[in-house]
Amino acid sequence: MKTVPIDSEIKKNQVIAYKSIKKTRLVGNIVLTGILLFGSLIMIIPFLWMVLTSFDWQARLNIPFPPRFWPKEFSIRTYTLAFSNIPMMKYIFNSLLISIGVIVVSLSSALMSGYAISKLKFKGSTIVLVLALSTMMIPFEMTMIPQYLLFSKLSLLDSYWAFYLPALNFAFGTFLSKSFVDQIPASLREAGIIDGASEFIVFLKIYLPLCLPILATMVILQFLAVWNDLLWPLLALQTPDKFTIQLGLAMFSYNKDLPLPSVIMAATTVSLLPVILTYLFLQRYIVESIALSGIKQ
Amino acid sequence: MAVKQSAVPKKKLFTSKDWAGYVFSAPLLIGILGFAIYPMVAAFIMSFQKTSNSLVGEWVGISNYVYVLTDQIFWQSIYNTFYMGILSVVLGVILSFVLASLIYNVPSSKWRNFFKGVYFLPNVVSLVATSILFTFLFNPGKEGLLNFFIGLFGFDPIGWFTDPTYSRFSIVLMTLWGMLGYNTIIFIASLTSVPRDLYEAAEIDGANWFKKWFYITVPYLKPIIMFMVIIGTINAMKRFTDVWLIGGTAGNPAGSLMTAVLYIYRNGFLSSQMGIATAASYILFMFILVLTIVLLISNRKNNFD
Repeated sequence: MKTVPIDSEIKKNQVIAYKSIKKTRLVGNIVLTGILLFGSLIMIIPFLWMVLTSFDWQARLNIPFPPRFWPKEFSIRTYTLAFSNIPMMKYIFNSLLISIGVIVVSLSSALMSGYAISKLKFKGSTIVLVLALSTMMIPFEMTMIPQYLLFSKLSLLDSYWAFYLPALNFAFGTFLSKSFVDQIPASLREAGIIDGASEFIVFLKIYLPLCLPILATMVILQFLAVWNDLLWPLLALQTPDKFTIQLGLAMFSYNKDLPLPSVIMAATTVSLLPVILTYLFLQRYIVESIALSGIKQ
Repeated sequence: MAVKQSAVPKKKLFTSKDWAGYVFSAPLLIGILGFAIYPMVAAFIMSFQKTSNSLVGEWVGISNYVYVLTDQIFWQSIYNTFYMGILSVVLGVILSFVLASLIYNVPSSKWRNFFKGVYFLPNVVSLVATSILFTFLFNPGKEGLLNFFIGLFGFDPIGWFTDPTYSRFSIVLMTLWGMLGYNTIIFIASLTSVPRDLYEAAEIDGANWFKKWFYITVPYLKPIIMFMVIIGTINAMKRFTDVWLIGGTAGNPAGSLMTAVLYIYRNGFLSSQMGIATAASYILFMFILVLTIVLLISNRKNNFD
């Protein structure tokens, strides 16, 4: 009772307590990382298995049993077969062509209208915004039949106009651009107009360069959407020469028994390459864009 | 010309700024008119007509709706769509919320980004590739990777995609794999908006991690959770690509993978019964509309920004 613990003893106890907290924290972090790593494995294994099996010449007729990751007979002949059976390069080129066209059309429309609604505040701009936002609620599956018949009547089916024209209505992009331009001061436009620039020049030379971040976000969103789409290409395209990569791949494997496992896996791997490579380089940026647009939505 | 101009009253109906606005919005307005309003109206008219591959046909009143609403396959497709939709949304939101909380608590930002990247990866993969990949993984024979795995625990091989008892659940599993990352990164982004002092105050009061998570994080993210549930359900109503690739146009096995959009596709483009297909699409739209209205109301109520 009468002995008061000396300073050094308190310190010692504190150090021990601190160390034990640190230790539980460390253990907690290791457990946390362990769980997440296990989950990552589940995410990655399907890819890994597919990519490795796609090099397995023995798996060309049947999936091997017992399942193996490492190819027994390593060969790139599966890829040669895939390329000779499916015009992969042609399909990838078609998909790129459609993606670029859709991106150019939809982003121009979205940026221009978003800018006009935000900064020009013309008569009826609110109506345009509300109209755009309400069309976002109309699912494509709802309008696909009349849209198909419309393009059929215009004789534009089986051409890429069937992709470029509907891209004019990128209402979500209008909304994203509008909220982005809202944050840029309106005084820039007034200064430009006073200096004698036309409205279009003001938009092109002053606001557009400032919109690069949202532009990049929209490019990513649209590229992923167009590249991965199947339903509209399935309806709109008829000549195999014009197929997108997804449609080509779907048509080749559209068979319950999926013949030639490792050849199909090779083709699927090739179809994924452009997207996966983009993802590897721009991973953080893509994740951020999706998170942003998801929250905005 | 000069005389005419002076005759114009000073206050014009439209200023040059207005005109510029219309020119700038013209592409969007053409798009809305041509690819949203027009098809909606055309589909509505078509749903009362007997048409095959054309925009006009014989007027048949509500018989298309009667046909769809009394078609057992349609109700089967609605049931399947909701079954897979609700299951994947509920499991998906719970799992991704837990996952996001875990990733958010990883101390090193390097690892955090690594996990974000890995879990999000399947999300950039097309549904076509995912479906092909899972057809192999879920191969009904013993050589399928998943069957081999459960075989190690003494289970018999399961016909994941070929047995109607399991097919819908297998689609849900595949969807979870593909979509988990999307919800997760949105949850992570919104977790950063939870004020840190709330946690600190709770810590001082002696709350453990579970209490902090349950009493602070969960209520704070409630609007986002609600939002994900409804957006996820709406998207699930449109399921087509994966079931078409795996189950074909009949939604095999035994119609267990027949979804509403597959039903529309089948009637519209295979049987050329576009009137029936548009009627079905309007009925589906009604389902989606109700869900959207619920979303908007809950969104306005919580008003998170």
